[in-house]
Amino acid sequence: MESKQAELEVSLIKKMMEDTRKLNIDNGVHYIFWGILVALGLLINYLMLVFKFYTKYIGFVWLVMMVSGAVADVLIGKYQSKRSKVSTYAGRILTSLWLASGVAMFIYGFVGSFSGAYNPIYICPLIATSLGISYFTSGSIQQLGWLRSVSFGWWAGAIVMFVFPGIHTLLIFAIMIIMLQIVPGLLLNKKSKELLMENA
Amino acid sequence: MNYDYQQIDDVIHSRIRTAIMAVLVGTDEAEFNFLKEKVNATDGNLSVHLKKLEHAGYVSVKKLFVDRKPVSKYKITSKGYKAFKNYINNLENIIRSNKK
Repeated sequence: MESKQAELEVSLIKKMMEDTRKLNIDNGVHYIFWGILVALGLLINYLMLVFKFYTKYIGFVWLVMMVSGAVADVLIGKYQSKRSKVSTYAGRILTSLWLASGVAMFIYGFVGSFSGAYNPIYICPLIATSLGISYFTSGSIQQLGWLRSVSFGWWAGAIVMFVFPGIHTLLIFAIMIIMLQIVPGLLLNKKSKELLMENA
Repeated sequence: MNYDYQQIDDVIHSRIRTAIMAVLVGTDEAEFNFLKEKVNATDGNLSVHLKKLEHAGYVSVKKLFVDRKPVSKYKITSKGYKAFKNYINNLENIIRSNKK
């Protein structure tokens, strides 16, 4: 084999690998799905507290919403993975990361507060801290600097909610969910659609 | 040139098979149609090359039905991964030895 041919082969291999690496981009559907669900839950939670409407059932409302959300998410994930033409290692790591993050948030949200370990108002900053870790890692895996930067927003918000707790925490968290979860989800979705068009 | 041509893996050493391996090495698994798009091959041609890689134990195939349509998903094996790594190392050796 000639050296020139070898160089050509190496550049072909690099190009193919680079093209596949680009496929690691998340399509953002899960961000949007959970963002809408949690923002809705926060609004319902806020209104129940303000109007003192069946406040003892707040935990139950969250439990129903989160469990049905998780079931729907698993079904969506299975449907998508069966139909996806390709799956990547990075995609598998991202799924594991968000799954682990979801379990941690479930423990913070339900076990932590139901056990009386802390005031339920601190669920929001705890979850925001956890989301910060997930966004930072997710952004690093996908090599998306802007997504990694979103984590600083989560951590800054967590500090504010820890220092100034109150009923308004729910509204702050709802705004954070819209700005730092739904908007990035929409951006990821747009980017993944553009990439699909490029590869079509 | 200071290299042994026998070190070049004949199973991988073909444009299409090298491309298939390069795609599969970066994925967890890939569908037949995805590989077809990526390597720009016809169904028949791709099948032949994939069979060759499969027989060498470099790729594994999983056949399933999606919406009643048969789908084949390919995955690189650990043997295939090692062979591909060796193949690249050999290519780099060829380039290096020629530059000396």
